[in-house]
Amino acid sequence: MMARHAWFRNLLIILVLWEIAGRLELVASGALPAPSVILIKLWADRADYPPHVLATLQSSILGFVIGNAIAIAAGVVFVLSPLALRLARGVNIAIFALPPIAISPVLVLTLSGMTPRVVLAALGCYFATMTATVLGLTQADARSLDVVRAYGGGRWAQMRLVQLRSALPSILGGFRIAAPNAVLGAILAEFGGGGRYGLGTYLLGSLGRADPPRLWGIGLMATLIAGLAYAVFAVIGNRVAGASRAVTVPTGAPLSQASEAAATRLAIAIAAVIVPLVLWWLLLKALNVPEMIAKSPTGIIDYLFVAGSAESAQQRLIAALAETLPITIIGLLAGLAFAFLLALLIDVAPEVARSLMPIALVTQTMPLVALTPLLVLLLGRGTAVTLWITISVTFFPSFVTIAQGIMLVPRAALEVPRAYGASKLKELRFVAIPASLPYLFAAMRLAVPRALLGVMIAEWLATGKGLGNLLNQSRGYLDYGMIWTVAVVAVLVAIAFYQIVIIAERLTLARLGMRTAE
Amino acid sequence: MAGDRSIRLANVSKTFVARGERFTALDDVALECEPGSFTALIGPSGCGKSTLLRLALRLDQPDAGEIRIGGLTPKQATASGDTGVAFQDSALLPWRSVESNIALPLDVIGKPRTDFAKRIAELIQLVGLTGFEKSLPGELSGGMRQRASIARALVTSPGVLFLDEPFGALDQILRRQMNIELQRIWSESQATTLLVTHGIDEAVFLADRVVVMQSKPGRIATVIKVPFQRPRRKELFTEPAFHALNDVVTTALHGT
Repeated sequence: MMARHAWFRNLLIILVLWEIAGRLELVASGALPAPSVILIKLWADRADYPPHVLATLQSSILGFVIGNAIAIAAGVVFVLSPLALRLARGVNIAIFALPPIAISPVLVLTLSGMTPRVVLAALGCYFATMTATVLGLTQADARSLDVVRAYGGGRWAQMRLVQLRSALPSILGGFRIAAPNAVLGAILAEFGGGGRYGLGTYLLGSLGRADPPRLWGIGLMATLIAGLAYAVFAVIGNRVAGASRAVTVPTGAPLSQASEAAATRLAIAIAAVIVPLVLWWLLLKALNVPEMIAKSPTGIIDYLFVAGSAESAQQRLIAALAETLPITIIGLLAGLAFAFLLALLIDVAPEVARSLMPIALVTQTMPLVALTPLLVLLLGRGTAVTLWITISVTFFPSFVTIAQGIMLVPRAALEVPRAYGASKLKELRFVAIPASLPYLFAAMRLAVPRALLGVMIAEWLATGKGLGNLLNQSRGYLDYGMIWTVAVVAVLVAIAFYQIVIIAERLTLARLGMRTAE
Repeated sequence: MAGDRSIRLANVSKTFVARGERFTALDDVALECEPGSFTALIGPSGCGKSTLLRLALRLDQPDAGEIRIGGLTPKQATASGDTGVAFQDSALLPWRSVESNIALPLDVIGKPRTDFAKRIAELIQLVGLTGFEKSLPGELSGGMRQRASIARALVTSPGVLFLDEPFGALDQILRRQMNIELQRIWSESQATTLLVTHGIDEAVFLADRVVVMQSKPGRIATVIKVPFQRPRRKELFTEPAFHALNDVVTTALHGT
């Protein structure tokens, strides 16, 4: 009760300060309008909103349904067949890591009408729900599974009687994350063009005018939709979790059986890399798009290395990468560092950190596209804006992940050093910091694709540099080869970053004898 | 299963590989349980007593040897409902009511629940859970959950009952109460029972014979017969003869 009270009070203080700052035009000469001004503008624009909101809602809901249906089915298949999971690893990581904005133009080129929006919304849902499904299904109580097996129940009986139901809270948790992602995906696809309506289209159309209150209004509306979607599944999830909390002691992981041959492992790993390429090629064949517009894997190699314009293409690409990569890394590390330090506060100054938690959770549901134009208004169009956008999109999810990890540290573990008279600092050094390492890596895995997405959005909308800008420009020039190349390179960069984190995580945690946090 | 409700293990071996190291859980173990008998398996952790039970239930596969339950293979016996099992943690499904949890084995082996409505009601009465039919496991105490899991083990009217430390998570006082109740339930069901336990007094109180196991490698060290008359009353817990036999088991456990 007290916590809720404090949270309302903090919100009120922020709103009042904001109102004063807006009224007096204290921030960036009026780029931060007062909340009352934004609301009045929202009301004045009320006739504009319904078709845009409706269009965005329609594609995000459709994408949400399709994406989650595929994700749950895939999760079930992956749990029933570990081989399928390993073969699909390449596809899964690509879908997780791909910056939606990078493939938005490609989708608009190859698909028609509303389909690109639905696809991008569905892609936004897939990974969250798929991992939640796999996690939920595999974490079903081992003893309950033993009971079913003890009566001769096979894989499907275990799935039907125990796993699917016990995975439900986890799957709903996945939906909760997927819902704002679907809205974000739909809006990003609207950036790519196609269609007159949608909040993304509206935002792009309003970007050129000097009308901060309207941009804030659109941002608010997008956040509201995403936040509502998040809240709906949070409520349902809490309802369901009550009845399914395990009542038994979880038993240890089963002893591993003999390991397989290195050759088999290598073959599966290679297949996992080839599968996405084959899928890409098959999809193009199935869609029957002209070769000039839709590039196959070989088409891109041709464009980048063989064709007459290859050299100029390479130069432009390398220049863009030289701009985008450093800033992504710096923004990512800064966001993570802030998150880590602030999360450690939970141990030192619990009140401060706890009162930040609701704000962090709210911003997590905020579609970051809605944020970008606002930051542009506040910070201008220089490199600083890119950096701040990157930090802000990586900071909050990382903070939530790390903070939740630290909260999981058993009280007793913290009290052992304390019982020997250790200072707060020693307590941090011996217990909280090592204990939060798995969560720091989990946060990093989450943050990597977001950082790249943040940078590319900023470049596309604001700074006119780097990969994001190259993509936007190529759209204007109808440079199909470059559109595809940037999409592929962006996905590859994201995957490379992700793999580096995974390797660092494995090495570090294995050395410390810790387990990966999900 | 018709009459034969014996458990027979011959030359059973099982090795696990963990982090590259081989670990012999069971080394050439032979055990026979007469129909209707009550056998307790006791031993230090790692002696393979739970592994033995898991092999009999086909939760794991033996590396060598033969296992027969009432003359059938574990696969045939378990799938026909000839066996029942209760684990240390009750392993109830948290979203199913007591009644529905007891019916779970029926769902697995594909028998219509409606045919067993009377049986389920009887079992609930037998384990003393009348009035809690519709309760969820989360609303029950530890002892009540354990009773529900024993009722579940009995729902198929099994000829053979496997109990894996069924009261291991309960405190000593509750445990003794449950021991007395288990004896009553067992004598009514007439099932051949194999109990894995780490409680010496529990083993002596309940069993016809106590099989003492040793570890590294997991094997049967000695078998101690328990001569006390049935039904055994709670007064037995305080009798000198009972303590004397407990000491015999303790000595056997020390392996000297």
